[in-house]
Amino acid sequence: MKSLSADRLQDLAAALSAAGYRVVAPVEADGVVRFAPWSPGAAIRTDAVPVNSLKDVFFPPSEAIGRWRRSGDGFDAIETRPEAPKTAALAARPCDVAALAMLDAVFNWDFRDSFYDARRAATVVAALACSEADEECFCTSVGGRPDAAPGADALLRPADGGRTLIVEPLTDQGRDLAAAASGVLQDGAAAPDAPPEVRRRFDIGRVGAWLAGNFDSPLWKELSLPCLGCAACAYACPACHCFDIQDESGPNGVVRLRNWDACGLGLFTLHASGHNPRPDQASRWRQRVMHKLAYAPERFKVAACTGCGRCGRVCPRGMSLADTAERIAAAAAPAAGPAAGVPA
Amino acid sequence: MNGNIYQPVEMRIERAKDEAPEVRTLRLAFAHAPDREAFFRRYRVGMFGLYGVPGEGESTFCVASPPGRDYIECTFRRAGRVTAALLDREVGHPVTFRGPYGNHFPIESWRGKDLLFVAGGIGLPPLRSVIWNILDRRAEFGRVAVVYGARTVADLVYKDELAGWAGRSDVELVTTVDPGGETPDWKGRVGFVPTVLKEMPAAAPGAAALVCGPPIMIRLSLPVLSGLGFRPTAIYSTLENRMKCGVGKCGRCNVGGVYVCKDGPVFTLEEIQRLPQADL
Amino acid sequence: MSPTPSLREDAARLLREGRVKLVIGYRAHAGGGQGPAVPEGACRAPLAGGGGRRPAFIEEAHRAGELVFDGACSQNLAAYLKKPEVRARMPLAIVASEAVGRSLVSLAAESQFAQGALLALAFRGERYEGVKEVEELAALAREAAPEPRRDPDIGRRLAELAAWPAQRRAEWWSARFSRCTRCYACRAACPGCYCQRCVTERNVPQWVSTAALGHGNYAWNMIRAFHQAGRCTLCGACASACPQGLPLMLLNTFLAAQAAEQFDVEAGLDPAAKPLIGTWDPEDDNSFFT
Repeated sequence: MKSLSADRLQDLAAALSAAGYRVVAPVEADGVVRFAPWSPGAAIRTDAVPVNSLKDVFFPPSEAIGRWRRSGDGFDAIETRPEAPKTAALAARPCDVAALAMLDAVFNWDFRDSFYDARRAATVVAALACSEADEECFCTSVGGRPDAAPGADALLRPADGGRTLIVEPLTDQGRDLAAAASGVLQDGAAAPDAPPEVRRRFDIGRVGAWLAGNFDSPLWKELSLPCLGCAACAYACPACHCFDIQDESGPNGVVRLRNWDACGLGLFTLHASGHNPRPDQASRWRQRVMHKLAYAPERFKVAACTGCGRCGRVCPRGMSLADTAERIAAAAAPAAGPAAGVPA
Repeated sequence: MNGNIYQPVEMRIERAKDEAPEVRTLRLAFAHAPDREAFFRRYRVGMFGLYGVPGEGESTFCVASPPGRDYIECTFRRAGRVTAALLDREVGHPVTFRGPYGNHFPIESWRGKDLLFVAGGIGLPPLRSVIWNILDRRAEFGRVAVVYGARTVADLVYKDELAGWAGRSDVELVTTVDPGGETPDWKGRVGFVPTVLKEMPAAAPGAAALVCGPPIMIRLSLPVLSGLGFRPTAIYSTLENRMKCGVGKCGRCNVGGVYVCKDGPVFTLEEIQRLPQADL
Repeated sequence: MSPTPSLREDAARLLREGRVKLVIGYRAHAGGGQGPAVPEGACRAPLAGGGGRRPAFIEEAHRAGELVFDGACSQNLAAYLKKPEVRARMPLAIVASEAVGRSLVSLAAESQFAQGALLALAFRGERYEGVKEVEELAALAREAAPEPRRDPDIGRRLAELAAWPAQRRAEWWSARFSRCTRCYACRAACPGCYCQRCVTERNVPQWVSTAALGHGNYAWNMIRAFHQAGRCTLCGACASACPQGLPLMLLNTFLAAQAAEQFDVEAGLDPAAKPLIGTWDPEDDNSFFT
């Protein structure tokens, strides 16, 4: 069994860096832990869920997807390729890894997105099994678990009461990563820690059944009233993947950018004519919930929510998908006793 | 091998024709022959594309011309930044194009069948490609009738082609303008499309109806078509959701379980009725 | 929770008597939702997600018992006056801490709601003051804060920044703004950010890049702050809402101080005040034009 002392994560990062990987990991800046490029000396934080998700590594907030140089009345296209350096993503949570199934599906279900795919191919993901769960965590409600990361290339499993990380390669890429880091890994037995208890907050089957028949429910209005209509939840979400395309031009050239976008923003579906099929926050919140828990499972056989809980952590009003799903599950079971209808 | 799916091809404006106030048709030629060949290998009527001007962006319109030409045409109205930029471009200028995307009208299944086209205003362009495709292969199809209306005479698009169709014995064309929109020399009908539609003959077995136009026109035309004997599976329309990527990624056109850019833009009425109506 | 009974009684009475159609306040939230962890040293208010408190939208008198108020009620409820679905339920009453009260006064000064469309269930600290009209709220606010209140810690950090060369300061801000994802939580949480179409969403022409990249992020964050100069009541909602913990209160506080020093403007104290932005006076100091 290969393992690593838990306080040597930075050494692991340094070894991978020396082996030619760009390392991304939860690091802190100004008191906020973010998934970001690691640089020597930076502490890798395993005690906090990063405010952003692993998604950012494959699908950054903004990137160029086209470039042109002006020439007379026309333009010369400049070939635009993805930036995809060989990368090791360290200490991603199982919920973030689970969301890759959604991203893989949508970026490849017919047309293949070379930008996403290039980074996916160039990145090895070493997940970190959770040793703690907070009040917002709900992976177990959407089919996930805190101590396994199918889809990752390797799993770092806390052991010996958090002092050790067992390194479990899961794919060839993961074995390559372990080999590149062999200098900091040790042999010997370690006792894996028990995974944390993640409270199961709702029955996803019951939620799905309710969604199938309640597009016009008055509950949407009630659930969406606190929503201020920003994109904090969508941008923090490991599975949200909507984007906008915008051109920016300077005196010499043009860059076409793909920028994150979100169905919660009022302009998302606004037509140039002024017509907006989703004119209020109730219809937008409904779209968000439906897309995650009804449309994506129907279309891609995978939920676009992995229970990471970030929406609840970042929402300025403390809303979360779990709260909404809990309310829906309660509405789906009116006979469930006094708990039903209690504000979540 | 894994190319940039967002990279458009270069086109050149071959012809620009003003159809109606702020409505223009551009005829675009492919700058590079392989792009043209790739396009026509995949293109079927009903598909759409993204027309762009680098620096301004891309806009989604149907391809308004049929297969079998060496160009494509699009007809659009000034609405925002991109359409304004396209209107500013002149003959000879380059623009960009991505496509063809989306599904298409099941035209092969209509052989030998009657077809009724119902269009309002700028809803004719999506049907024009179908009409020309049918007329190019006229002998393969049954009766062809077109009911087309606009607010005013000036708002009718493709006026020359309408005159041409009116002169053909194998096309039955009814043009109409809303009350008050007629000019002294207007020879067509005066009345709303759904009203005029009532006078069309009943659907023959296997006949299909294609409807495109303003939402209100579509809504009021559907019961009329129903009365003429067209079942929801025989009535076709196109959805015009906002799109950015056109290839099923950006999420903007998602409504219900459907991505309009991939599953559409062509839907039967029956399919449309299964979608959440409030989101359309 | 001593003030709660009278708050609930007043809310129920206003609804029962038909004086308001809606009461916006706070309710307790069981279980999760402690909000984002408060990063040490980051410039943001605690309990960004609302702690154990959530907004309550109450339309029936018998539900007024859900209302609570205490020090954990930190969300600025005045931001809901931007929502069309809330405005459609005017007249309404809003549970108003001092921060919410100042926002309401500021919005009144900018004619954001009609006279009689809004009542406040006002608090001073945790003491319930009763049902108040906007003028009374303003009087309460002036009484509570006879002198401009500024966070001394922010003042120290501003002084530190001011001592730096401009280039270093710009780099410091660039590094922070580079984390902005343009989620616009700052804008959404701010009662004063009520433009129907924000300047960053105007694309003919495109004034501000919407990409979450250096230049656009810098422009967006600066424009947001400048647009609030003399209007910002320093409630902290934007900074609390920012998932990235950007130190927005440094900008807000700096601009509020400039508005006070240069124009003698203190937002949120006088519903009859002329808005600083939107008021032009030929006597204004024009010396900065060179």
